[in-house]
Amino acid sequence: MQVEELLSGYQHAYAWDEMLEKNRVRDHYLPIMQKLAAMGFDNIKQHHAQASELFMSQGITFTVYSDDAGIERIFPFDIIPRIITAAEWAHVEAGIKQRLKALNMFLKDIYHEQNIIRDRMIPAWLIASCPHFTREVYGIHVPYDLYVHISGIDLIRGEDGTFFILEDNLRTPSGVSYMLENREVTKRLFPGLINTNHVRMVNNYPLLLHHNLLSLSPRNVKNPVVVILTPGIFNSAYYEHTFLARQMGIPLVEGRDLVVVNHKVFMKTTRGLEQVDVIYRRVDDEFLDPITFQPDSILGVAGLIGAYRKGNVAIVNALGNGVADDKAVYAYVPNMIRYYLNEEPILPNVPTYSMSDKMQQEHVFKNMEKMVIKRTNQSGGYGMLMGNKATEEEMESFRKKILENPREFIAQPIVKLSTVPCFLDGKITSRHVDLRPYALCGPGGIEIVPGGLTRVALKEGSLVVNSSQGGGSKDTWIID
Amino acid sequence: MLSRSADSLFWLNRYIERSEGLLRFLHTTYVLSLDKGPYVNNSWKILLDIFSTLPPEEKLALENDPDKIVEHILLAQDNVNSLRMILNRARENARGMQDHITKEVWEQVNFTYHKINSKSLPAQLKSNNEIPAIESLLKNCLLYTGIVDSTMPRGMSWDFMNLGKYIERCMLTIDLMEKQVVGHDLSEEKDILYWRGLLFSLSGYEFHLKNYRSNEANYNAIHQVVLNVLFPHSVMYCLDRVRKYLDNVVNQNDPSDPAGLTRQFGRICSAVEFADVGMIRQVGVPVYLSQLRNNLHQFAWSLSQTYFSYS
Repeated sequence: MQVEELLSGYQHAYAWDEMLEKNRVRDHYLPIMQKLAAMGFDNIKQHHAQASELFMSQGITFTVYSDDAGIERIFPFDIIPRIITAAEWAHVEAGIKQRLKALNMFLKDIYHEQNIIRDRMIPAWLIASCPHFTREVYGIHVPYDLYVHISGIDLIRGEDGTFFILEDNLRTPSGVSYMLENREVTKRLFPGLINTNHVRMVNNYPLLLHHNLLSLSPRNVKNPVVVILTPGIFNSAYYEHTFLARQMGIPLVEGRDLVVVNHKVFMKTTRGLEQVDVIYRRVDDEFLDPITFQPDSILGVAGLIGAYRKGNVAIVNALGNGVADDKAVYAYVPNMIRYYLNEEPILPNVPTYSMSDKMQQEHVFKNMEKMVIKRTNQSGGYGMLMGNKATEEEMESFRKKILENPREFIAQPIVKLSTVPCFLDGKITSRHVDLRPYALCGPGGIEIVPGGLTRVALKEGSLVVNSSQGGGSKDTWIID
Repeated sequence: MLSRSADSLFWLNRYIERSEGLLRFLHTTYVLSLDKGPYVNNSWKILLDIFSTLPPEEKLALENDPDKIVEHILLAQDNVNSLRMILNRARENARGMQDHITKEVWEQVNFTYHKINSKSLPAQLKSNNEIPAIESLLKNCLLYTGIVDSTMPRGMSWDFMNLGKYIERCMLTIDLMEKQVVGHDLSEEKDILYWRGLLFSLSGYEFHLKNYRSNEANYNAIHQVVLNVLFPHSVMYCLDRVRKYLDNVVNQNDPSDPAGLTRQFGRICSAVEFADVGMIRQVGVPVYLSQLRNNLHQFAWSLSQTYFSYS
């Protein structure tokens, strides 16, 4: 089969297509398309089924609790890799590094001197009204002034191919195990192509992370004890927690395995208590310590924040990071970059309207069908309104909610995310994607694993890529 | 090692060992029920006694319907001792401490879990394919044992896993033997056909034929199942293994053994090590076995109090 025949049904009407340019396949997509054409549809289908089986047999699944059976599903995986050139990547990498540097400085500042507020670069009311501004950690000194050790910043490409920052995930971003497993599966499906395309490797992520975690130990001992704290097997990202524990060779603990004695954290072992130095926690702030935060939480450890304040344990990511990835604070990140670094932002934000501002609010209300409205404190594609798909009643109900509590909402013009080829229903068709590269900040600097997780909106025409809303994922290749 | 992980490792292996025992017993019962011999086959009843939590009258109603029993024992979700529920719990334990088992072990547990929960299995059972289905599940349990043996590092994980495995196996042997003999007069000589079901269920029939040539079937069977150190399902063999792994665990944690686990277990061992068939028959086989089981339960409880207590 020829490439033309393979792509005969491929449509990409109105967005930036990463494969086609004026109906010609871009050079970096040509080898994979030639390979797929040579394979033929039946063979591709077989590979697709084989990939699903691999995920299932390895237990890379999440549980759907819609009925008692607790059905397990795999996170849908598309076998055609998404390809980004080295030049594009260099731009993305520089932009993320710059942004993270500024965000880290902002967190240090906001929990200490608050110069950025004094200098009126960000309004005080915005921070004071942010539910994730955590007064309990004000003034706590963290090792190396690092707050965002692990981040998963979401990027999208606009209609002309420009990369935009969509969201900063600075608390407990997930999905990195899918990035790594996707690559392992692609290696089995297309071993030859990975080789000839010079795809950069991603699998040193756990080693980098482990190295960074070790360096944060407050005790000066040869083998600091580093653990991952998981909410338990019912958490939807549980697979990832076990994956990382295994890849780093560190214990996976639950809250009930830990105890705080004398402002030190210990884990309960068959040998008795053993002191813990660094906790990579996958439990949200408000559940971490029932004494300081939610009193009914059984996922955390009583007294943990006391030990943290004393500097007896390092917690990764730092507590209180939510103030920096709040969707209303997001609009001020370009200001932070100018303020702390004296640089112009390399990667632009998506224009964001504050609903607390009367003029902006009016503008949004007039143009609601062109807007996406999001709640500032929610993620996962929940609590949002896509103006182009919403009914009149839905818009009205959002207007009401916005008027009641404007601080809780922001609006952005709908960006038509870029499209890439996917293998769905037995043919190659285009779907919208975003990109989540994972960055690690350690004492030695910021490292970004080349690639990241490409999330795909599997429904035709949909712009929502979240796994909870019918999204899937792809392997992401950075090629030299 | 985390107490919770030790607990999960112990129970993972207990559950898989229980699955293996269940499947072998079910297989034997199914196959032997097709031979109408001189001893009325009451294995279905024993099977239900051990592996079903139904009330007695419902068990009675099932007894004459092998197909229903097979489905109940393998798949019933309201029976906490059905194979499906046992394997679900095994997997839950494995999932909770994946950082302590190898990827291969995890994948095998996960594969077996998906097999027992697959939508096609009930249909397969209904279309007269019970025996191949049981055999294939049994193969997967055996495969698990092989994978554990060839991929798990020797160390505390391995020791806790084996403690679970051999304690479970010992209990199962005791249970099967006790149910087989209770209410039967063993002073009256039985022939090998009486013991055949039990021996098949413990994977020891061929062993018996090769090693016991005399006609004293009762003596031989008791000797093999309780005392023979070469038979891997005998009580003595299992206790010997438990002793080894207990020593390892105690030495790697607190060698002073403040809970006195070694002494407690030593007493159980000596009751078997220094026994002979004559003495066991004198005490009465069911009485002897039930004492043994109670002591073993006590020991397992002390073990969990010492190492697994984390809440």
